[in-house]
Amino acid sequence: MPQPLSTREANLFRTVIRNYEDKQYKRGLKAAEQILKKNPKHGDTMSMKALIMNAQGKTDEAFALAKEALKIDMKSHICWHVYGILYRTNKNFDEAIKAYRFALKLEPESHQIQRDLAILQIQMRDYPGYVQSRFLMLKARPQLRQNWTALAIAYHLEGNLQQAENILTTYEKSITTAPLKTDFENSEAILYKNSIIAEQGDIERALEHLNTDAKNSLDRLAVMDLRAQYLSQLGRKPEAAKAYRALIERNSEHPAYYKGLTAALDIPNDDEAALKAVYDEYAQKWPRCDAAKRLPLDFLTGDEFRSAAKSYLTLMFEKGVPSTFANLKHLYADSFKRDTVPAVVEEYVKEQESGADDKEKVNGDRSKGKGSALYFLAQHYNYHLSRDLTKALEYVEKAAELDPKSVELQMTKARIFKHQGDTQKASEAMDQARLFDTRDRYINSKAGKYQLRNNENEKALATLGLFTRQETVGGPLADLTDMQCIWFLTEDGEAWQRRGNVGLALKRFHTIYNIFDIWQEDQFDFHSFSLRKGQIRAYVDMVRWEDQLREHPFYFRAALDAVRIYLSIFDKPQGANGVNGVNGDSANGEDAAEKKKAAKKAKKEAQKAEREAAEKAAKQDPNKATAVKKDAEDPKKKDDDPNGLKLAATSDPLGDAMRFLGPLLQFSPKNIDGQIAGFDVYIRRSKSSSLPCPPSHSVESSLSFL
Amino acid sequence: MDIRLLRSSDIPLIQHANLENLPENYFLKYYLYHALSWPQLSYVAVDVSRPPKTPYDYPKIVGYVLAKMEEEPTDGVQHGHITSLSVMRTHRRLGIAEKLMRQAQLAMVETFGAQYISLHVRVSNQAAIHLYRTTLGFQTEKTEAKYYADGEDAFCMKLDLGPIREQVQEARAAAEEEEKQLLGDGEKKENGAGADKEKTNGAGAAEGTAEELDEGEAVGEVGRDPAKSAAAAAAQADTKVKVKVGRGLGVGELVERVEVKHS
Repeated sequence: MPQPLSTREANLFRTVIRNYEDKQYKRGLKAAEQILKKNPKHGDTMSMKALIMNAQGKTDEAFALAKEALKIDMKSHICWHVYGILYRTNKNFDEAIKAYRFALKLEPESHQIQRDLAILQIQMRDYPGYVQSRFLMLKARPQLRQNWTALAIAYHLEGNLQQAENILTTYEKSITTAPLKTDFENSEAILYKNSIIAEQGDIERALEHLNTDAKNSLDRLAVMDLRAQYLSQLGRKPEAAKAYRALIERNSEHPAYYKGLTAALDIPNDDEAALKAVYDEYAQKWPRCDAAKRLPLDFLTGDEFRSAAKSYLTLMFEKGVPSTFANLKHLYADSFKRDTVPAVVEEYVKEQESGADDKEKVNGDRSKGKGSALYFLAQHYNYHLSRDLTKALEYVEKAAELDPKSVELQMTKARIFKHQGDTQKASEAMDQARLFDTRDRYINSKAGKYQLRNNENEKALATLGLFTRQETVGGPLADLTDMQCIWFLTEDGEAWQRRGNVGLALKRFHTIYNIFDIWQEDQFDFHSFSLRKGQIRAYVDMVRWEDQLREHPFYFRAALDAVRIYLSIFDKPQGANGVNGVNGDSANGEDAAEKKKAAKKAKKEAQKAEREAAEKAAKQDPNKATAVKKDAEDPKKKDDDPNGLKLAATSDPLGDAMRFLGPLLQFSPKNIDGQIAGFDVYIRRSKSSSLPCPPSHSVESSLSFL
Repeated sequence: MDIRLLRSSDIPLIQHANLENLPENYFLKYYLYHALSWPQLSYVAVDVSRPPKTPYDYPKIVGYVLAKMEEEPTDGVQHGHITSLSVMRTHRRLGIAEKLMRQAQLAMVETFGAQYISLHVRVSNQAAIHLYRTTLGFQTEKTEAKYYADGEDAFCMKLDLGPIREQVQEARAAAEEEEKQLLGDGEKKENGAGADKEKTNGAGAAEGTAEELDEGEAVGEVGRDPAKSAAAAAAQADTKVKVKVGRGLGVGELVERVEVKHS
């Protein structure tokens, strides 16, 4: 039982809580001290003090104090609750759940403890636990719609669709006054129920429900979309066609709507003329619609394709649309189209050169059309399915004669050099493109990326630093890291890896790993937030995406890189500490020595860069940077291994590899590179576990016994 | 290219597009905050032509509009706000930015009853200003000095959504009328598809009209000086959100308080 306090102290205790909630930590601590002066063994106050200390970043002291408080007041739910919160904020969710459960046992009526527990359960995907918590919360406060919806979500995620629907229906039946048309929560709850009906496979009923209950939904697009889907699933084709037409009217750039329409119109797949007629209607209706003109190129064949391609390409060239090639390259999977497209473009170029079309374009700008066509051909010959780099370079040079300062053309030049394998030239060319438009971050990013591909880490960082925030402590690297700039971290890590700086490479890949941890934790607040907002379908969609978070290619690439580095560390242990182990695929010793030298140099450079960055940061105007102060107060932010030296010096590379490998195998099992990496790790683990320890280590350990 | 509603799973690549294109960046959580608070408002343009490299490819985002409703409007009027809008340089001059904006505007009216929409744009960003002012009909309210972190000023722009609201209402009334007629002679609905193709459903009419009204106002016009148009981005705009919300991950109002208090 919590110890009783005198009135004065009880008031003070309330002040402590309020101060904590308002983040007035110093005041809170002062008030807590006042209570403890009179009641030195007051568990609840000690716990609150611990909580405030934890918020200040003094994690270890906070845990120690909270434990002490628990020893004194084993039966205080406050002590247990605080203990749970400490675990939660330090991301030990399993322990936090245990502590909350204890707290709840002591104080079953506490709404807050129950809620905290529920949020953790859903975060940990403990569905049965979540259902139970939500059930109790609903029982305690059935007047809140949120609580009904929450229980429905719990059942839904657990897979009990029937029960989820029942809960929503029970609430609906209990409403006595009809909700307003503008009641968003109601509108959304109805559509949520509709999605549950459809998920159960009862499309007929889902459509009926959509047409009646969801008729006045505030989310018009969702209703239109679902209607079209249900109608076509039910084979009610004339109505489905109409529904898809309505959707195309609304958004004519969504290919799925055209697909839905032509399917509903029962047009056979090989009836090209009839299919094309559908698209033509919209192309005429909206001259600026791209999809209606472009999509027929996907299914047309032979001469029909040729003439449609010609008119589409002509239009795009005259408009000067730079993405024309990017929008058509998927056609190259078909070899006829792969040959026809460039032929059509070359024909167009010839026409332009001979002036055959002069009459029609008195006012038009012919050089623009021609330039675009030449640009297209340059990209065509640079593409892997139709590659001829000599020709690509010819065309890009020709185009550049017409428009020498074009960023796009210069960018393509850089890409051609990259494909020639000349990373140095590519990097220089891309930087030239950047200079053509220094205010555009896109081309700046590309220039930085090409510098990284050329192993120019320091230069790349300086380039990217032109667009990062000046006031961020730690310079561009810190800003890019803070902003979760995965592409940079990946490219930078891979460049360090190529330069033999295993430490910095691992450092980047670990940073990416941690960013994914943050992304996973980002959902935490939404478990309660989304209920308040009432946007249920988007929330469920988010939960399902988070479940697959590490399936993302961003994760895969960095994790695979890290696993490969750890494998090479394992295969080639570098002396006692393995500091900056050379990335080992070199065959002969000379090569290895050279790489070692390079690694040493790289390490020096990196340290220098870091020193300079630190100096620069120190010189910054303290008044300007509000972020500086905040960071300085947060002790967690200090990095005790900025160069990854400790990471590279691991004594258990395979164990470290496992950390990256696990999610990689779990979420991307069909990716062959992941499987190979998995094999490489597991076979080494089974070998090393059959021996007492790896040979090199056993030598060391036996020496230490002498 | 495919223009569609934003989903949570798009966010890593939206963040990527933002980081590549614009100097104003946000944590992933801030995108989630938009996606989960106003899931009807934000749209993406996806490059559907990329051949997949692995079974786990995510749709490549080449443009996005990140939109929201003002949570506590100082003027007491419900209105929307564009947090960030950008289109990859490689995909400009297709009118993507305009199309994204129109989708967001319509949804703001339909779902949240927005009266107007506001945004900030760099005073030097000619292409974006052209899009907002000429193509979409925004008006400059005022100039905010040193709005951006690098010291540049911002135009604060507004668009009255009244016309769109009227279109939505008209379309809805028309749809209801049509439904009544259909209920009148239900048997005839079988020959619907062919005959009805000129009719539009619900808000579709609004968008159709809006598109037609705008004809000829292409974001990247045909027949411009090539040197000029090469430099002119199709459209690129963004908004720096006040530090407390955007940069600092803020989302302050979103973060649950850890409450120990019990009654």
